[in-house]
Amino acid sequence: MNQTVRDSSPSQPAWFRNKRTARPLIVARWVPVALVGLPVAVLLAIVIYPTIWMFYHSLRDTNIQGLFMGSHEYIGFQNYATVIGSDRFQQSLIHLVQYLTFGACLQVLIGTVLALTLYEFVKSNALRTAILIILVLPMMLPPSIVGVLWRFLLTPSNGAVNQALLNIGLIKNHIEWFNAGVSLWSIIIADIWNWVALPLLIVYSGRVSLPPAVYEAARVDGAGQWKVMRRITLPMLKEVIAIAFILRFTDAFKFVDLVYIMTSGGPAQSSELPTYIAFQRGIREFAIGEAAAYAIVIFAISAVIITLFLKYMKRVMKAQGLA
Amino acid sequence: MSQVSLREVNKIYGEGAGRVHAVQDLNLEIGDGEFVALLGPSGCGKTSTLRMIVGLETITSGDIFFDGRNISRLEPQDRNVAMAFETYALYPNFTVEENLAFPLEVRGVVEATRRSKVREIAEILRISDILGSHPSELSGGQQQRVSLGRALIREPSVFILDEVMSHLDAHLKFRMLFDLKRLHRELKRTMVYVTHDQVEALALADRVAVMSNARMQQVGDRNTLYNRPANVFVADFIGEPPTNFFRARVVADDSRLTLAVEDSDLVLVPDEGTAAALKRSEPKSVIAGIRPQNLNLSDKPVALNARVAINEYLGERSMLTVYNGSIRFRALAPPETRISRGEAVRLGYDPANVMVFDPETELLIS
Ligand SMILES: Nc1ncnc2c1ncn2[C@@H]1O[C@H](COP(=O)(O)OP(=O)(O)OP(=O)(O)O)[C@@H](O)[C@H]1O
Ligand SMILES: [Mg+2]
Repeated sequence: MNQTVRDSSPSQPAWFRNKRTARPLIVARWVPVALVGLPVAVLLAIVIYPTIWMFYHSLRDTNIQGLFMGSHEYIGFQNYATVIGSDRFQQSLIHLVQYLTFGACLQVLIGTVLALTLYEFVKSNALRTAILIILVLPMMLPPSIVGVLWRFLLTPSNGAVNQALLNIGLIKNHIEWFNAGVSLWSIIIADIWNWVALPLLIVYSGRVSLPPAVYEAARVDGAGQWKVMRRITLPMLKEVIAIAFILRFTDAFKFVDLVYIMTSGGPAQSSELPTYIAFQRGIREFAIGEAAAYAIVIFAISAVIITLFLKYMKRVMKAQGLA
Repeated sequence: MSQVSLREVNKIYGEGAGRVHAVQDLNLEIGDGEFVALLGPSGCGKTSTLRMIVGLETITSGDIFFDGRNISRLEPQDRNVAMAFETYALYPNFTVEENLAFPLEVRGVVEATRRSKVREIAEILRISDILGSHPSELSGGQQQRVSLGRALIREPSVFILDEVMSHLDAHLKFRMLFDLKRLHRELKRTMVYVTHDQVEALALADRVAVMSNARMQQVGDRNTLYNRPANVFVADFIGEPPTNFFRARVVADDSRLTLAVEDSDLVLVPDEGTAAALKRSEPKSVIAGIRPQNLNLSDKPVALNARVAINEYLGERSMLTVYNGSIRFRALAPPETRISRGEAVRLGYDPANVMVFDPETELLIS
């Protein structure tokens, strides 16, 4: 029945019909299985399995020797108790909050302001593109280069930043960029420079895709630029800005590179983030069980934060009748 | 309240190969509180004209005046016009209520007044039940009414309404036309209403401006457009079914002047005024036109003889498609008319209803 319909259809050329009937059916059967199966297998191998493995060891007294000898024992939640009870971890949580607020959030804020300023005030397309390229350049550098570059720029005695600040007259003495209490700020500054273009790009592309007709309506309705920004542009960009936040926040939880290169968490652990401690305990000091507990705790914190963001996005979209 | 005048307005989009002359030497005077409909086929430049009045599009050349004041270079914010967009352009992040209230919010109207005004306008447009919805949840017709409401809620000097009823069903459209007309009478404000539906235009407007091919063809009330169309385009565009046009030779002897239709033995007799005009300008041939409405099965002194090709029943009347020689044309008859194919008919007309146009310029000769 179907066959006759298909054959009589003039919209399908002859070569297509022949192909359909000549091809053995078995091909069609394993293709979808392979297409879905392979990625699932890869996911299992590189995400699910390590996560389960890590959770398993977070409950055991594994160290590097025990790992290779296969000699480790179940110790319940003792690793978690060690992690959560340690001053080092609690201190690093404060650092994390500091980094999230002044690193990630400030990046999104600056990125948003830059993106909207660029869109509203630079009308020439060539100039816009040029500015965008310049702003995006730092993002293309590998973290090792960024770290070395900023360590160099922030060198207290004769670094470019201190020299510049002295010359302008903003400061009278050198800032000791890598002393306790300042070093985390140095990392944050370098990270802002490195990543501010990401939220900028996201918000800029979001702004570009907003319907121009709405802005014409607002002009005819008599709304001034500030009113339009506050009542129309920013509300319409809510989801996009939330996405920028999510991206920068997820990055915050795997943020090790600049810490490692610029300060190694120092001096005296004053610029350590939780992930850096996990890295330090596991890879450097071989306390596999404890590092695994760190990783699980970090995972839990990030999961809570990201879930909150997604909830917020869903609410925003629901409020606009989009979901 | 404002009087609007457009003087020699031109709009050219782009340049080089992509250049579009969308509005050409357009002149239009709109009186204070007048309701003018801008009528024309798709792409003739109606929206472009409106966008220049509102200030969303720069004027390539020419000027626009509100009450004698040149506003050509003012921002839309400073012109005090309200516009309902063809594409609705609702604020997607606002509810219907917030959309309607926004123009008032911008003007600093207090919350309570905003609310009552929104209720009032929603009542008229029959959207009270969707005030809490967002635009993405609405049908095309509902969005269109919200967009119309957002324009009507203000008290501007000029209302600009761009095809605000194209998505409504006939029944709703009829009631809304009535309400809009009433609203105009109450507000006594200048309104420019764009449409390509001539029924809408003729029903609503004090005067209708007919555009085609970027140019203004004729501005006038219903009777003028219908009975004295300025050119072939207007005669063809206004009226349904469209006017019958014939190429005809002018045959003048001492006593009278007649028009002999080519490729047939039809003869049209114009009235005295037109005949006199033809005698003055002495063209050899003309384009003659007569509306199907003005050709009836009756024993008027002058008539066209033809045979019936098709007899279509249109509900309130029958439309006869008839032929004579190789010429086909249409006439209207009462609905119960029983005539079959090939039958000979005599279609009487009033000489006053014969329109004559110059074959080159296509302008009315009168
Ligand atoms: N922004 C633009 N850039 C280039 N050409 C344009 C632009 N806007 C309109 N045009 C052209 O100008 C002409 C007139 O367009 P306009 O939108 O004024 O027509 P309209 O009479 O409103 O038609 P419709 O009834 O379909 O809405 C069209 O040929 C169109 O292609
Ligand atoms: Mg249009």
